Amino acid sequence: MSMTQQARGRRSGLARAFSSVGEFFAGTAEAFRKGDAFTRLSALISGAGFIARGQIVKGVLKTLLEALIIYLIPGFILPNLSKFGTLGTVVAQKTFDPVTRKNVWNNYDNSFLILLFSVMSMAVILVAVVLWMKNMRAAYELQQTQERGKHVNSFRDDVEALLNKRFHVTLLSLPTLGVVLFIIIPLVVMILIAFTNYDHDHLPPNALFTWVGFNNFKSLFSMTAESSFGYSFGHVLAWTLVWSVLATFTCFIGGILMAMFINNRNTMGKRFWRTCFMVTMAVPQFVSLLLVRNFFANQGIVNTICKNIGLTDWLFGIGAIPTANYIPFLTNPAWARPMIILINIWVGVPYQMLIATGILMNIPADLTEAARIDGANAWQSFWHITMPYILFVMGPSLVNQVVANINNFTVIYLLSHDVYVTQNQYMANANASEVDLLITWLFGLTQDRQNYKMASVIGILVFVVCAIITLLAFNKMIKGDKEESFQ
Amino acid sequence: MKKILALVLVLMMAMTSVAFAEDITLRVWVGDNNDEAWINGVIENFKAAHPDNNYTIEVGIVSEGDCSKNVLADPEAAADVFTFADDQFNSLYNAGALQEVVIDPETVIADNAEGAVAAATGSDGALYAYPATADNGYFMFYSKEYFTEEDVQSLDKMLEVAAAAGKKVGFPLSNGWYIYSFFKGAGLDMVINEDGVTNTCNWNATDTEIKGVDVVEALLAIAQNPGFINADSDPFVAGVKDGSIIAGVSGTWNANVAQEAWGDNYAAVKLPTFTVAGQQVQMSSFAGYKLVGVNPHSEFVGDAMDFAAFMTNEESQLSRFELRGQGPANKAAAASEAVQAAPAIAALANQAAYATVQRVADPYWTPAATLGEIIANNNPDGTDLQTMLDNTVAGITASALQ
Repeated sequence: MSMTQQARGRRSGLARAFSSVGEFFAGTAEAFRKGDAFTRLSALISGAGFIARGQIVKGVLKTLLEALIIYLIPGFILPNLSKFGTLGTVVAQKTFDPVTRKNVWNNYDNSFLILLFSVMSMAVILVAVVLWMKNMRAAYELQQTQERGKHVNSFRDDVEALLNKRFHVTLLSLPTLGVVLFIIIPLVVMILIAFTNYDHDHLPPNALFTWVGFNNFKSLFSMTAESSFGYSFGHVLAWTLVWSVLATFTCFIGGILMAMFINNRNTMGKRFWRTCFMVTMAVPQFVSLLLVRNFFANQGIVNTICKNIGLTDWLFGIGAIPTANYIPFLTNPAWARPMIILINIWVGVPYQMLIATGILMNIPADLTEAARIDGANAWQSFWHITMPYILFVMGPSLVNQVVANINNFTVIYLLSHDVYVTQNQYMANANASEVDLLITWLFGLTQDRQNYKMASVIGILVFVVCAIITLLAFNKMIKGDKEESFQ
Repeated sequence: MKKILALVLVLMMAMTSVAFAEDITLRVWVGDNNDEAWINGVIENFKAAHPDNNYTIEVGIVSEGDCSKNVLADPEAAADVFTFADDQFNSLYNAGALQEVVIDPETVIADNAEGAVAAATGSDGALYAYPATADNGYFMFYSKEYFTEEDVQSLDKMLEVAAAAGKKVGFPLSNGWYIYSFFKGAGLDMVINEDGVTNTCNWNATDTEIKGVDVVEALLAIAQNPGFINADSDPFVAGVKDGSIIAGVSGTWNANVAQEAWGDNYAAVKLPTFTVAGQQVQMSSFAGYKLVGVNPHSEFVGDAMDFAAFMTNEESQLSRFELRGQGPANKAAAASEAVQAAPAIAALANQAAYATVQRVADPYWTPAATLGEIIANNNPDGTDLQTMLDNTVAGITASALQ
């Protein structure tokens, strides 16, 4: 590797991206400057350069695509983009026509559709500009090819290339289109909603919403008597982080311990035990969760048993519970939080156990044997061989699980929805509760209150939290040549 | 241009059903699987009454309690006719998701009970929905095995009887819909403002005859009574079944459960009085109605109104009572002997004198539920009661969530 190549390799990704964009622009300008008449004509009629040099089909296709985009401008792009600044001004109005017995609506604006279509228009424009510049360069390259007297590809050659040399382009174009249409555009729309007043009072199509700048972010970080979003955000975020770390590591450690017990030479009926845990996984998680929620309800079976054996009265006697009627397993913050983590262990351990079993079976026997010969006891061999090996293999998936648990909607929602009523008045005023994760809070805001703007703000912040954790953890764990460090 | 717009729409959003000119397709949402037999009968009758038109009426199930969420998620794609509990009237009305009744509203107003019509009337004074049932409020269930008719007049007496028997009287204290009955009974108010999205509330008043703090103190005493249990619908059902709950406040939806568990001892009555600031005060309540709304975006809004009117006429309300046990809002149907003989419906009718039509903006619910939860837990943090009420009122009266 030469020095210059190494230097280039060290340049940051951002710098590289900028310089390649720069090259792209320069190339287009050069094509325009040095191109002949047909190449320059391609700037107006995109197929001109190609048709002139015998690539008829390609030229016609390119011109048709250009025509389609130009056709979209007055019908789709302009009407939507022109309203993008206000997100619409015409409020829906209707009159009932007694003759036709139908409602006659005015030509009203739908803020949401304007937002959505504007983003799509911008995507179309961006793609069109890039395609136009690419087209200029391609026309110029074709001109050069012809000037040098080299072979000019026929349409058949191009199609063959797409199936052979440039097969990756054929394969990836459809998924790329799908990603843009169904992931990137909706994502951009959702992010933009955080900067609007799209909520219960501004629901399209019967009302309009509009831009409000950073107001929603301000109310998330401020605490007034009227709005306790700031207070609630801090508390919900803290519990979300505590939950995700505890939920991940309790399941992880529980799974490893379980797998080791089952894999132990002295354990009888390994297959039987393993099957037992497999069966618990066969029951859909939400079914088990709802059942457990009912078991631990204030009037549930566990409470009946506790009451009958006198545990409830004893707990009330020592002041651990506020009423002698039941133990508030899932209705009091001090009880509900640990209970939810415990129940999550119960639901999550079998899965972790299976993964850990696979890894334990893969640990090279010579390692443990060598350790035994060297006089290591079981604990030392676990601590210095088994554990590092498992951590090495499972590290990335652990990070993944922490992030997944930040968004662990199912467990929290199913265990607390309709059951848990917060006693914290500030949280109540922001529609949050002590056991809410950011994601369930967000869900409640959209589902119960149609407060899409705040939900979008919280969504963005969830993303930021997850991104920070992932970046930090993966940088620590995977960066460098860790593959060789374990040996 | 239209074509492209349509194409894009198809790509990006699930398109709703396409209707043809001659055939009239209506989609109707009813609340429960068990309503299907009833609504199918209504549809047959409707078709028979309109032989000239070719109707296709599709039935969908959307819980009456969640209807507004489903309608507001995409008003243009919602059903043409939908059934909802009257607590959602306001959010639907404000979002413009209800068609004003412009075909013969006079009949609807004349035929149905006054409260039911009030619940279906918008703040502009026009009728925006069709009353379907008048049974969606709450009242007191009790078992005659333990209580005399005199006992159930006073909550204090009921709690005393229950405590002596080692049993419980259930009340959903951690639920804004129910806790209202104590405050309103004591003369404190909570009403929606004209803007339709905020509330006015004086539960923290100190200058009224009965102060807000008095009510909280009364509730704390009730909640700590050994004969009391804080029980929402599920625990109420569980308690009635296992015999631990011998009386409780709930609605007609639990009438069958109570009837099965208590047999001949099953009885229902208006809400009792309770003691606050040394006086006996009658508990108030939210009157509850189920309403039928028409989607203004409906392709056949006129026919949708015809169907909604038909679905809530005397005959349909009576068959609804017969098949589903739901009390009619229609005056003639309510006067029928069969309806009069149902204890739960009779109890509701008696409670009606003390009930108010529910006009509540969204910010009410969570703070009110939290107030109840704190009281049910005997104020564990020892918060000053006035401060507690001030916080609750701040939440209830907050401008629509920031």
